[in-house]
Amino acid sequence: MKDFDAVVIGGGLLGCFAARNLRRWNLHIALLEAREDICTGISRANTAIVYPGYDHKPGTLKAEMCLRANAGFAALCRELDVDFHRCGSLMVSFGENADMVLQKKYENGLIMGVPGLRLLSGQEAREIEPVLAQGISSALYAPGTGTVNPWKLGIAACENAAANGAEIFLNTRVQGISRTSEGYRIEACGEAFSCRAVVNCAGLFSDRIQELLFPAAVRIAPNAADYLVLDRAAGVRPSHIIQYEPEDGGKGFNAVPTAEGSLLLGPSERENEADFAVSTEGLSFVCEGARRVLPGLDLMQTIRSFAAVRPNPRGKDGRSIGSFVIEHPGPGFWSFIGIKTPGLTCAEELGAYAAERIAAELHAEHNPDFDPLRPGIPCVRNLPLPERAALVRENPDFGEVICRCEDVTKAEVLEAIRRGAVSVDGVKRRVGTGMGRCQGSRCTRAILELLSGELNVPVASVRKDGPGSEILEGAHE
Amino acid sequence: MNKTDLLIIGAGAAGISAACAAWDAGCRSIVLTDRLDSPGGILRQCVHEGFGLAEFGAELTGPAYADRLSERLSCTGVLFLPGREVLALTKEKTAVLSGSGGIEQVGFKRLILASGCREKTIGSLPVAGPRPAGIFTAGQAQEMINLCHWDLGSNIVILGSGDLGMILARRFTLEGKRVVSLVEQNKRYGGMARNYRRCIEAYQIPIRYRRTIRELHGMPRLTGVTVENLESGEREKLPCDTLVTAIGLIPERELIRGLEKEEWLSLAGNCKKVHDLADSAAAEGAALGRQIGEQLAKGNTA
Ligand SMILES: Cc1cc2nc3c(=O)[nH]c(=O)nc-3n(C[C@H](O)[C@H](O)[C@H](O)COP(=O)(O)OP(=O)(O)OC[C@H]3O[C@@H](n4cnc5c(N)ncnc54)[C@H](O)[C@@H]3O)c2cc1C
Ligand SMILES: Cc1cc2nc3c(=O)[nH]c(=O)nc-3n(C[C@H](O)[C@H](O)[C@H](O)COP(=O)(O)OP(=O)(O)OC[C@H]3O[C@@H](n4cnc5c(N)ncnc54)[C@H](O)[C@@H]3O)c2cc1C
Repeated sequence: MKDFDAVVIGGGLLGCFAARNLRRWNLHIALLEAREDICTGISRANTAIVYPGYDHKPGTLKAEMCLRANAGFAALCRELDVDFHRCGSLMVSFGENADMVLQKKYENGLIMGVPGLRLLSGQEAREIEPVLAQGISSALYAPGTGTVNPWKLGIAACENAAANGAEIFLNTRVQGISRTSEGYRIEACGEAFSCRAVVNCAGLFSDRIQELLFPAAVRIAPNAADYLVLDRAAGVRPSHIIQYEPEDGGKGFNAVPTAEGSLLLGPSERENEADFAVSTEGLSFVCEGARRVLPGLDLMQTIRSFAAVRPNPRGKDGRSIGSFVIEHPGPGFWSFIGIKTPGLTCAEELGAYAAERIAAELHAEHNPDFDPLRPGIPCVRNLPLPERAALVRENPDFGEVICRCEDVTKAEVLEAIRRGAVSVDGVKRRVGTGMGRCQGSRCTRAILELLSGELNVPVASVRKDGPGSEILEGAHE
Repeated sequence: MNKTDLLIIGAGAAGISAACAAWDAGCRSIVLTDRLDSPGGILRQCVHEGFGLAEFGAELTGPAYADRLSERLSCTGVLFLPGREVLALTKEKTAVLSGSGGIEQVGFKRLILASGCREKTIGSLPVAGPRPAGIFTAGQAQEMINLCHWDLGSNIVILGSGDLGMILARRFTLEGKRVVSLVEQNKRYGGMARNYRRCIEAYQIPIRYRRTIRELHGMPRLTGVTVENLESGEREKLPCDTLVTAIGLIPERELIRGLEKEEWLSLAGNCKKVHDLADSAAAEGAALGRQIGEQLAKGNTA
């Protein structure tokens, strides 16, 4: 039996940040992730917006966290060495009724103290964002809104937690939890973990994890959502995050110029779809939104579509719950159930929230050795030429470009593998290979060879992402 | 910084031919560069016959054709810099090259871009379903089978019936795999009649015309595709473990974004327009190389 002070269940954004924050205290921490890599669930597919917080009810935990998180986001990303683009956002409206809705959001934002908010006329909005449609009658400008790559952020937090001594257990699916005199006993894939505190961050399965020991208070009803990605070369392109919410309360539309340079469009929303499978109706819906709000976009520049799953929490009465659901069903046991938007924005806040409460319950001391800094993998694409040249002199592998679309070198791929990538998508999540316009058709071969060599496995057993996703059937000779 | 009169990016059929022709026309300062370690470009992975009828009067395989071109190249004084990725070009007529030996800058008077093309991928199509393993582009499949000797799968659907799709269908069949069907949106196959006879008819490989793929099935590995009849709307599920897309080539011109109008810039081969035949890409490269080579040779003596 492995013995810890606290066990985090789930290695998505929330679990990674919970583990990181728990290590700010003198606690022995384990993170258990069911899959072979972290950040492969909800955290892998979302809208990537760091929200400014004008859209929540003042005084709620969600509102407070979002506001604080947004203010601290640049500092957090500096600590974790992750790109963060504070590009600002424009929420647009068509017609008088919709203008009123924006007015209300604006007022709400003022009460909350969201910095820099401005309500613009359609004309003013088009002056700062010329690609907006003519019919747009007003826009709520929020300079604080930004975008971050969600899985890169989660992976950075996990690396930082591990560097500070948290133990990460992959391929470790939690199957049972029981009470002991000391706290809890967790069964996972033939291993047992004992601990005094638990943070349940199992995303889409967080309701079921809690039900392993406690009665259900909240159930998750998943919804699917579809997205499109446009090439960075797509001619017309907004420089702000563009948001649109129809006044009938239907699902809106976002266009996000991502940290990687592509343009993310979506999401659509579909009821009761629990798999990450794309629907063509959903894609058409996204395209319609795009044509209405950004008529000049060239949708032929689409390089990828993908689906996400929303974990909607519902009460016993079946009603959907809007606030963050944070349950505390037993001593030292904290559950994040179905944390949706703005869970990415608030990941660090939520992690700190759980950690502080657990530290208090366990009477833990601050960890004086905690180091918040995590050095990222050097990204040659962002470097000025002389610095890039210096890297190549140090390590020739920085000179060898593997992914041409995203300009990623062999040294970066090797470092991704050394830091835990075990699959082609694992490399992609760490250094961005295959995310560009050729979608990996030119670099997958080289990445397969590097994974095979580094992990010392035959190339035919290298996977796309997880068991059963081997890319090849075999290899002769 | 290194300087040259003529810089040629891409040592495929077009780039090599341009370099040789410019040399023959009297230009004595030529640099040819490629990210790969040996010249030939896409020809290296085309192990089938059918190249060189126009250029060498013989039916050669791609690699044999590339060898002939390389021999010509080695008879010239063209400086070949392999293993270098051209990262960027500037208005000041310099190219930035990256290789394991370092980052170099090369100044030039004229530039020929012969960077070939890339493939359109499934990502650009509105296809429903999950995104499993087992999906390849045709060029990628060709590279993995012919150069790496890898096994991609056993039951294959090919989307698109251009030359590349048809040649691959035969390749898979010869490898002992089952090509379930080609799927083609038009009423007729897209490639040359010669390839249809040799690759499809000869091996009795089915082609489904007026159809396209609407949905993928299976996770984590592909288990089938749903094909729609574009006339009747009828749908059919084809079980397969591998999907190869041969749905089009896109000229590779990212390097010259914003520089398209510079008078020192010229294009040849697939980055100018996609050529069905290597011979025609080579001929285009040669014609351009000769013209620019003459101009540069004159300029230097004048
Ligand atoms: C469509 C969509 C768009 C969004 N857009 C935004 C946005 O723009 N801005 C924003 O701030 N937020 C956004 N969010 C919210 C944000 O993405 C989530 O709040 C966040 O990713 C939640 O992460 P998580 O860690 O809870 O879940 P996950 O990332 O799913 O992590 C849960 C992990 O638990 C693991 N697990 C499950 N069961 C077990 C088990 N039994 N044992 C061990 N491990 C287990 C899973 O494998 C998984 O890795 C969006 C969410 C969705 C769905
Ligand atoms: C997959 C595929 C299969 C084909 N099969 C056949 C066939 O069977 N028969 C036939 O007759 N024709 C075939 N063709 C048609 C094609 O027209 C010819 O084969 C011809 O070889 C194309 O020559 P090219 O020089 O234009 O391009 P390529 O041969 O593609 O050469 C371009 C070269 O530029 C290099 N390059 C590009 N960008 C950079 C950069 N930034 N830095 C450094 N180097 C760079 C590349 O590495 C490559 O070597 C095929 C084409 C493709 C794409």
